[in-house]
Amino acid sequence: MGEGYQPGSREDFDRLYRVAYPRVYRTLTALLSDPAAAEDCAQDAFVQAYHAWSRWRPNAPAEAWVHRIAVNRAISYRRSARLRTVGEVLMRLGRPAAAADPAEQATQPDLLTALRALPPKLAAAIVLRHYHGYNNREIATALGVSERTVGTRLRKASERLRRALESPFSLDAPTAFQAGKRDSYVKH
Amino acid sequence: MSSTDPDDLHPTLIARLRAELNRVRPPYGEPRYLTAAAPLRAWRLAPLALAIAFTGIVALTAYAATGSPNPAVWTNRVETVINSTQPSPTPEQEPPESQTVGAPPALAPSHRPTAPPTEQAEPPASPEHESPQPEDHSGTTSGARTSSPTPDH
Repeated sequence: MGEGYQPGSREDFDRLYRVAYPRVYRTLTALLSDPAAAEDCAQDAFVQAYHAWSRWRPNAPAEAWVHRIAVNRAISYRRSARLRTVGEVLMRLGRPAAAADPAEQATQPDLLTALRALPPKLAAAIVLRHYHGYNNREIATALGVSERTVGTRLRKASERLRRALESPFSLDAPTAFQAGKRDSYVKH
Repeated sequence: MSSTDPDDLHPTLIARLRAELNRVRPPYGEPRYLTAAAPLRAWRLAPLALAIAFTGIVALTAYAATGSPNPAVWTNRVETVINSTQPSPTPEQEPPESQTVGAPPALAPSHRPTAPPTEQAEPPASPEHESPQPEDHSGTTSGARTSSPTPDH
């Protein structure tokens, strides 16, 4: 991951972008429900990384470094989006809220929905570990925390994700699981 | 990148997570950092552009002032202008000599104002009193009168 990158080299950054952009975008897709927002945050993260490319130290994996910038971007985006949502709720007090599109609800993958409901730092730990295959040290670099904190976050994120998917009142019931398989997964 | 901690998630869920994220197709547009880098390059060239613009303005001004595109003419013009504006030391040293002949009062603040009127008043008085006497007796005091009658007669 990121071997052979020279800080400040334009060609190396182009190579890093080609390799890391799809992976960073997929990570942000698991954190943000809006694909356009995920693309914006990913692109902004690479712009920020490009300006700081000469200061990057090769002792940290380059992709984890970009992930750190991108996750921070996503956290900022979610915070501002939450503030916007509060403002919209206050503005439409007394009026019925707009109903969600049933077609969108039907095609929305439930696992990603459950991931997006988690705090972004926990969701990012899950994606980095179980999708990108990062070890604790690389996740620690990507999230800017200690390895012990990474372990705690992974445990907490797994518990909360499992609880969310087990909930019988969840509107986003898993469609990919058959009933028997789902019951066996719940017993675990 | 091997995981060091035991997985807390069920393998089925992990496979599902991978499948769903693999289904996501990232939009491949132009990387934004390429366009974001362009203004930086422009700012790096800004001092050069400013220097070129300044030189052009100076050259146009010099051409308009001298009417010649030759820089040697511009330097000559500058030298003449500088030399003409330099103050000369002679006018400040000469005023004491010129004041005796009726200099303006502004140039002689150090002299007494009473002295010039007494010197100027006396000389015109003496010729006025002396001139009538020779004219009345001989009539040959002025050169114009002595030369003109002889050719006529």
